[in-house]
Amino acid sequence: MTTSTQQLSSLTMVTGKRERSTERLLLIGGFILVAVFAFFPIYWMLITSLTPRDQIFAFPPRFVPTAITFEYYADFFGNPALLKYLLNSFIVAGSTALSSVLIGVYAGYSFSKFRYTGRRALMFLILSAQMFPQTLLLITLYLLFARLGLLNSYWALILSFTSFTLPLCVWMLKGYFDTLPDELIEAAKVDGASQFTIIHRILIPIVRPALISTFLFAFIRGWNDFIYALTLGGPEYMTLPPGLVLTYIGEFQTSWGNLMASSLIVSLPVVLLYILMQRFIVAGLSSGAVKG
Amino acid sequence: MRRSLVLVVVLVGVLMLSISAITAQEPQEITFTGWSINEGLSRDVILGFANTYAEANSITITPVAFPFNEYLNQVILQANGGQLSGAVQLDVAWMAPMAALGVLRDLGAVVPEGVYTDAALQSCQVGGVQYGLPWTTASIGMVANQELLAAAGITELPTTIEAFEAALEALEAYNPDVIPYAAMTDVAQLKDIIPWIYTFGGSVIAEDGTVSLGDEGSVAAVEWYASLLERDLIAADIDRFDARQLFAQGLVGFYDDAILARSLAAGNKPADLELTVVPVPHPVLNEGDAPQSLLWGHCVGVVDDAAGDAAADFALYLTGTPEVGISYFEQLSLPPTTVEALASDVVSGDTYVSTWSNEVTAFASPNPFWGYAESARMESLLGEAVQSVFLGDATAADALAAAAEEIADLLN
Repeated sequence: MTTSTQQLSSLTMVTGKRERSTERLLLIGGFILVAVFAFFPIYWMLITSLTPRDQIFAFPPRFVPTAITFEYYADFFGNPALLKYLLNSFIVAGSTALSSVLIGVYAGYSFSKFRYTGRRALMFLILSAQMFPQTLLLITLYLLFARLGLLNSYWALILSFTSFTLPLCVWMLKGYFDTLPDELIEAAKVDGASQFTIIHRILIPIVRPALISTFLFAFIRGWNDFIYALTLGGPEYMTLPPGLVLTYIGEFQTSWGNLMASSLIVSLPVVLLYILMQRFIVAGLSSGAVKG
Repeated sequence: MRRSLVLVVVLVGVLMLSISAITAQEPQEITFTGWSINEGLSRDVILGFANTYAEANSITITPVAFPFNEYLNQVILQANGGQLSGAVQLDVAWMAPMAALGVLRDLGAVVPEGVYTDAALQSCQVGGVQYGLPWTTASIGMVANQELLAAAGITELPTTIEAFEAALEALEAYNPDVIPYAAMTDVAQLKDIIPWIYTFGGSVIAEDGTVSLGDEGSVAAVEWYASLLERDLIAADIDRFDARQLFAQGLVGFYDDAILARSLAAGNKPADLELTVVPVPHPVLNEGDAPQSLLWGHCVGVVDDAAGDAAADFALYLTGTPEVGISYFEQLSLPPTTVEALASDVVSGDTYVSTWSNEVTAFASPNPFWGYAESARMESLLGEAVQSVFLGDATAADALAAAAEEIADLLN
């Protein structure tokens, strides 16, 4: 009886182990499938950026290039116009992110911790800018900036990008401030802290992860935009996305090798920012999502 | 003393007024907006011409570029915002919407007698008004891969629909991986059906300006086009970009493109592939019919503002100087528009170009939609109708009748 119970028990353990390893294998297989699906386009970009011009469209396609060239990367760094577009991208995306975080933090705090007439209406009014198709707003902004003499300047790009990023930044930060207990603020007040001290010395250090994730969101929006940067920036202040299209996609031809190499270079700053600030981004997004 | 002072003040005033008047009449800076001025090889060539002109005339030419695919929208927005000035590169297909904006100058008065060919001049006119000067004029014609045709046993280029179908079937039999005719089947470029509609005796817009799409010829053309798809003689979802790349890989027998097809194939083909590109006039229904194709080309328009005179002079230099036209052709393979440049040994001695000019462009007609500001939407309606036939959602007669109705609404 004991032996048969032991046998049954060991059989159950073996079956359990088998089931667990099958589950594990299925899980790993699933992860590999998702990873291939997610990373194959990036791999294809990479090999296209390294494949000599006359082999890019070889048929049947080659998944491993037989020859490698770095000419497209050299072309990018040897092209002053592209480097200028790169600099413009940093200036515009960085300024957009800074202004969005700066305004968003005060607006988010106000919406979260104060009660005043018109608060809810104002909160939804801010969101209303997101409800219009961006192409419609582009025409309006173009004519407005033309009147104000702001076209073809950094200001045109920073102001327009901020007008799109700010609503979501305000709501993201409001969500984060909502998670902070009011008692914290009350305690600071009891200790004689002014509003200035409360927000700058107590709350901002606490909401740092949310500020970083909000900064990244606004930075990426400014970094990736195409149509606004093309229309409002003009040749002098154009950022990389329209700059790359202008340089490499023509009426008859597209320089795919150049375009892929440049796109990889362009995506690097954002990837690096993500890697460096991953911890804060996850903390910022998940905390803001708890209560909103 | 007082009288002298007054005299000096008056003289200074007159001098300042004169200077400002001269400045207003002859601006020292003009803008040249285009898409070719920032594309690969053409950038250096065109900026070279602009610099030569600028130095010779002591003016500054500021280039402004937008990508081709976004160009028309950007230029329209600039024009509406009062930001467009100077000379503007325009595709012949965009002349009507640009003319409708009312910002382009009528250049009829500056066109010298006998310099440009009549066909070229007409390609930049809207309603008989010369809104642009022709920079390059050709047509969307058919090209073939001679090596592939020879390998499939096709010794003569087909001139009739019957011979064309036989050639396509021979290519299909030779290698099923080859697309015998990489005709445009992507909805965005199905306007390529128009020359086939003409080939079958149909029309799109009648001479009296009414929509004639859906007539016997146009229905026959669409049915024929769809039958090619059913027989795998053309492939689904092919656009010009796909066709160019596949042609350059030796996987396409025939396809339709601008005259640059030869240089595009040379630039894209693998080093070890022999590829001789020959122009093929569109096959006709009956021997003796005229081969059909659509005009294609670029114009240079001039914005009607204070810089208009200087910009018009630059546009005239760029498009109407035979040496510039010949140099443009030599470096970029784009055919010139002046009688003298076309007659030059460089241009007329090129068999590919002369065949294209004499046997394809000579019979080309403008896209029937170009004359209307809503031309892009009209082309889309036609494309969607043909696609619905491909998908089996409608018969050719029904699909074209429905499209004709919507196009008629746009005309009204």
